[in-house]
Amino acid sequence: MAQAFVQLERLNKSYGPVSAVTDLSLEIAKGESLTLLGPSGCGKTTTLRMVAGLEKPDAGAIRFDGKPVVSIADGINLPPEKRNIGMVFQSYAIWPHMTVAQNVAFPLKVRRVDAATIRERVRAALTMIGLGGLEDRPATRLSGGQQQRVALARALIHEPALLLLDEPLSNLDVKLREQMRVELKLLQARLGLTLIYVTHDQSEALSLSDRIAVLNRGHIEQIGAPRVLYEQPATPFVRDFLGKSVTLPGRVKSLAAGRAAVALAADGNAVIECAVPPGLDLAADREVEISLRPEAIHLANGQAGALHGIVEAVLYQGERSECEVKIGASALCVYLPAGSDAAPGDKIALAIEPNAARLWAKSSGVA
Amino acid sequence: MASTSPALPQPALSQPRRTIDPQYAVFLIVLGIVGLFVLYPVLVILVDSFVVGPIGGARNWGLDGWRAAFTDPTMLSAVRNTAKVLVANETISLPSAVLLAWLLARTDLPLRGTFEFAFWITFFLPSLSVTLGWIVLLGPQNGLLNQIALALIGKEPFDIYSFWGIVWAHISSSSLSIKVMLLTPLFRNLDAAFEEAARCSGAGRWMTLTRIVIPAVAPGILTVLVLSLIRAMQTFEIEMVLGPPFNFWVFGTKIYVLVAQVPPEFASATALAVIGFIIITPLIALHRWLATRTDYTSITGRERSQPTPLGRWRWPIFCLVALLTLTITVLPVTFLVTASFMKLFGFFNIASPWTTSHWGSVLNDDFFTHSLMNTLIVAAGTALGAIVLCSLAAYFTVRSRYLGRNLLDFLSWLPFAIPGILLGVGLLYVFLGNPVLKLLYGSVALMMLAMVIAGMTLGTQILKTTILQLGAALEEAARTCGASWWYGFRHIILPILMPTLVLVGVINFIAASRDIANIALLSSNTSKTLSLLQLDYMVDGRWEDAAVVSVVVMLVTTGAAFLARLCGIRLGVRG
Repeated sequence: MAQAFVQLERLNKSYGPVSAVTDLSLEIAKGESLTLLGPSGCGKTTTLRMVAGLEKPDAGAIRFDGKPVVSIADGINLPPEKRNIGMVFQSYAIWPHMTVAQNVAFPLKVRRVDAATIRERVRAALTMIGLGGLEDRPATRLSGGQQQRVALARALIHEPALLLLDEPLSNLDVKLREQMRVELKLLQARLGLTLIYVTHDQSEALSLSDRIAVLNRGHIEQIGAPRVLYEQPATPFVRDFLGKSVTLPGRVKSLAAGRAAVALAADGNAVIECAVPPGLDLAADREVEISLRPEAIHLANGQAGALHGIVEAVLYQGERSECEVKIGASALCVYLPAGSDAAPGDKIALAIEPNAARLWAKSSGVA
Repeated sequence: MASTSPALPQPALSQPRRTIDPQYAVFLIVLGIVGLFVLYPVLVILVDSFVVGPIGGARNWGLDGWRAAFTDPTMLSAVRNTAKVLVANETISLPSAVLLAWLLARTDLPLRGTFEFAFWITFFLPSLSVTLGWIVLLGPQNGLLNQIALALIGKEPFDIYSFWGIVWAHISSSSLSIKVMLLTPLFRNLDAAFEEAARCSGAGRWMTLTRIVIPAVAPGILTVLVLSLIRAMQTFEIEMVLGPPFNFWVFGTKIYVLVAQVPPEFASATALAVIGFIIITPLIALHRWLATRTDYTSITGRERSQPTPLGRWRWPIFCLVALLTLTITVLPVTFLVTASFMKLFGFFNIASPWTTSHWGSVLNDDFFTHSLMNTLIVAAGTALGAIVLCSLAAYFTVRSRYLGRNLLDFLSWLPFAIPGILLGVGLLYVFLGNPVLKLLYGSVALMMLAMVIAGMTLGTQILKTTILQLGAALEEAARTCGASWWYGFRHIILPILMPTLVLVGVINFIAASRDIANIALLSSNTSKTLSLLQLDYMVDGRWEDAAVVSVVVMLVTTGAAFLARLCGIRLGVRG
């Protein structure tokens, strides 16, 4: 990682007895796109608001480019307007008494930029986000998607050192959200923005970020590239929060060379081989759990060691079908190809991709 | 954004110094002003209830005032009478207002917009003017309706100078209209899906109204009721005019006579006032608790549904509502205006009863023109002062996390609990006791101050609701765009609040132009307002001149209301 541009150092924040953020530290490189991901109440928005200066941490420090913008120990707390940031709010916060152009121009007006420059830059910004010609439209007469774009233009027009986005896409409908996701990605790449993005939507996080920090109850569970988090989740929380996964109880049958053969509790004949993660203390006969991503489970074509189950429900999704399969007392989610004709009550045999299963200590799972 | 664009002046991340937060400084100033002019008079009153002896004479500590308050039967009966008027008034006006608000907000009642406006206007009619109008109609012996009844059925059924006369004057002057004003937006903003779900579940119109709609707005109705209970301790003018002829005193008028009589009995008056505080304070706490519990999520204002059709009841109900609206607006106003052109107030049966001479004499009186100027100055100053103070107080109560914001919130409620006449007494003490402030005694500035304080509660509450609904993000967005708090407050918060600010200004303008209780003790001969002039005339028995002045006061208040309406200010406290 390049030299850290934004540093969060042991941030703490609580509201009364409720601790929102606990000892949170992380670093963001210049030009990096970092997502804070987690369920509601995990502290992600509080963290973002502390970076913006909208909340004052109880303890800790935040540095931009090495200089503290807030440091409780040193009695420093710059107000938001002194931090040179841009922020897009979940509700967009488009000012209803202004036109589109006035909204976008506001950061420049505050900085006393001359009127001609403002006009030129606002026009350029609106053209860039595809709202050219709407300068004089009252802000209240915009659709959700348009408001979102205006909010983005307003956050960017003064070329902030850091762009903060608080669930910016959550109020858009599905189609528009996917479109804006692509546009945001392109814009970030083109402008080389450093940005912190808050969301609870894991697919947004996976597709938009260079790195993701998964937050849970005020601390970071895991931080890393999307692919690392998805494929090698460090904790059950990350595993269950990012993407779909199924967890099956089992028992270690044998151990050899860092690999374990696990017999599933649901179907004793099925043995799944997987790598033993570092730090997991194992012995033969130990009860464990294995986790699987649905995309790693396929229909078996008569291989040995297949899992046998009964189809419970089929959810047709167009490009594929999601199929709930019952194996003994456990349930699995399997993706079947579009042409599959599985129906509830059918017997089904499943095969698991080699090296797809991950091994966990017993009952560590947090749903 | 493009790299070719000219460089922007970027605020350097300079090493910050510890400076005084300007927002905090403004907060302290507001808290200081409110504390001085609200809390201090109250403390003065409290202390004074334990002092015996005339102002200026030998004054000693003593419990005489308290003894009188608890033993004097006239004091006890004043409290009892207040409660009786309250119960009778609320029993009639609250259910009527709930039904009316629902009819106006959720049904296809014809002309419902006009009716809503009529209730709005009714609220702004000075209650003294309305009462004068009712005296013309319902007075014993000469009352027009009594004379008609005498001719038809051979007896006079009405007497405005009675318990029910007072109750009726309350209901028709503002008690009904303020409830309709407050409840209509509540019904209007209720999520239509509640009603639609009830209808889909097989409930009829009446069932939907009584089982779903009214329970859903019940917290709001309760809030309005508690507000009315608090208000009831303040009633003054109506009882001052209608009560004494049959020796009927309530809390407000009793305090007034104790203060205004010679020699004044301040100790008893202040003791009575303290008892008032003790009754009102838990009500304020209850109101605040209710207000914070109100679940804004159920009141979304989204998905406006088709209005509920009233079916074959539509026109009968229309006739009833129209009759009621005419009765409480057009009828008393018409007869007040009529009376101002009469030789003898209310005497329709004398030969050639009409004359314009009262108008001529009053309008040509320098005293009148002077009072009119005073009224406009006090009202305009009050409006301006209320806008500044209420917006800051509301803003800090809702948005800031400063220590002391709860105190500010409580202080903004306190004027509601102080009978106007006592706020006047308290301010009098404050001003006479301070050599600098003493210079302001008897000036219009002091009267403005009293009115700003008296109107603070309503204005702050209205603005608090609006600021709460705006949410913090609009302002935070300004901060993240680089605007300081003060810049954002001026360029974002104030413009967005502007319609509400104008509403608060108009309400305070009107309140000041018709007020008597708060300023009666603070004015001098040169700073008298029209409503005080009107009261003087009534006390002197110059009823015809009082009617003329009353019509002018009414023109000022309703004129301001119409003007506000023309400027596009929406009715009531709409979300």
